[in-house]
Amino acid sequence: MRAVVVYAWARSAAGAIVHADGGVEWRHARPVAGEDDPAAVAAALAVAGPDGDVVGLTLGDADASWALARGAARAVRVTDAPASDDEGVTAAVIAAGVRSVADVDVVVVGDSEEHPGVAAAVGARLGWPVVAGVVSAAPSGAGIEAVRRAGDVQETVVVTCPAVLGVAAEGAESRTPGMKEQLAARKRPVVTTTLAELGVDTLPAAVVAGGTRLPEQARTRVFEGEPEQTARQLVAALRAEGVL
Amino acid sequence: MSDDTWLLAAAGTHLKGAVAAARAAGGRVTVLAVGPRELADAAAAAAPDEVRWLETADDQPAEAWAAALAAEVAAAAPHVVLAPSDPASRTLLAAAAVPLGAALLTRVLTVRSQDDALVVDRSSLGGAVVETLTVQGPLAAVLEDADDAPPAAAPATVAPLAPAGAPVPMQVKREPLPGAAAGIRDAARVVSVGRGLRSKDDLALLDGLLAALGAELACSMPVADDLGWVPKERYVGRSGQHIAPRLYLALGISGMPQHLEGVRDAKVVAAVNNDPAAPIFRTADYGVVGDLYEVVPALVAALAE
Repeated sequence: MRAVVVYAWARSAAGAIVHADGGVEWRHARPVAGEDDPAAVAAALAVAGPDGDVVGLTLGDADASWALARGAARAVRVTDAPASDDEGVTAAVIAAGVRSVADVDVVVVGDSEEHPGVAAAVGARLGWPVVAGVVSAAPSGAGIEAVRRAGDVQETVVVTCPAVLGVAAEGAESRTPGMKEQLAARKRPVVTTTLAELGVDTLPAAVVAGGTRLPEQARTRVFEGEPEQTARQLVAALRAEGVL
Repeated sequence: MSDDTWLLAAAGTHLKGAVAAARAAGGRVTVLAVGPRELADAAAAAAPDEVRWLETADDQPAEAWAAALAAEVAAAAPHVVLAPSDPASRTLLAAAAVPLGAALLTRVLTVRSQDDALVVDRSSLGGAVVETLTVQGPLAAVLEDADDAPPAAAPATVAPLAPAGAPVPMQVKREPLPGAAAGIRDAARVVSVGRGLRSKDDLALLDGLLAALGAELACSMPVADDLGWVPKERYVGRSGQHIAPRLYLALGISGMPQHLEGVRDAKVVAAVNNDPAAPIFRTADYGVVGDLYEVVPALVAALAE
């Protein structure tokens, strides 16, 4: 089975500075691996199986070797992908990148909390079924068995290929690649391509950013001081709320 | 394109808040409910103008109908299509966005028409800021789940929907999550511990507080996943438990968005953390800046007074 794992397709919120007036300044505009990306790679490797093929797909000037150090055999990088507020635009670029890879059975995308529409929109653009919110996946006959949780229910969804999985991390990455794997990754092939080569139209943006502000509810009542005093203040507040 | 608003719902949570958001977006509000009859009834109780209901087979996930429903939505051509944030609903939404030619935005708080455009406020950077965007043309938006508001009108009627298209082959098997039925999911009060705890043995420090509050113990993801100090079924967060206690007391938890998503429905969130800049102090209702090793015994004493 051939899996494409999409990684480092968005800026990290950690690269942003929020000023006191609510303005945002990006220290690092470069796409970086998201918190769900390690889980996406793990799911892609699990679905592809030991005889399968995992191809990485990344956007902009991200570090393409990130997934290569984690088991992807090769990677495609779309060099001029725009950073768009419209997640449909991001998904269209990713879908075009997927189409540039032959005979793909499954696309795995981190089901990012900050961008929860992208994984589903990639499937919509490709016309493939989508399972989002996945925590683990495995091959199952001609398809995939994907596990996710909804409240106190565990759902096991079986879907035929080709399909798209949105994978949400259950924990931090358990093992980061060592120096040997990182060096080997830099020798693996990376194909660079452009929107024009992929046939992606660069239409005028339908979404125009109009600025940011701090949320209105800076509502936390914070107690500071000696523990005995702050504990009494908190208990009194919680009693007043009627929750004790 | 009409001035109407559609809401695509495959799960029964946060529907009243979602219908309220749809009302603000304008036009006639139609909920397309995809699932069992109980879901359609919950949608109707949220008082949209109408509910159109597609009943799914017990072993069929709502997403199997994504493409067929996208065609139905495109034929109605609403100017705004909304969905709650659960995985199935947002998958239906993303599918509908393509034939509509709609921009796709997420974590959306409000949508309103202004002149010939839509003005959208959305949560960004993990809730640190609210961003305002202007959209020309149709919009598909995943809502930031809001506290359910009371419905403003009588329940809507439910009309069955028979899409012209067929579902794709997908099956789902649902089982109770091991260990999820008891404990923290039903607790009125939950004390949760994070990386501020220095060792597993120190969990004993919490016994007196748990007893004094009549609370269940929960934890943040690293405490269950990386450290294994607390059973995984007690981990609260985006991919863990989602709970709605009357009181959630977070001890030594920094308050990353993925953790807070699990307690979005708690009535009151209180936090103890020794870092005054911890993100949880921006979102909790109450905070105590201090060392949990000192504050917890003080809380036990204060509760006894």
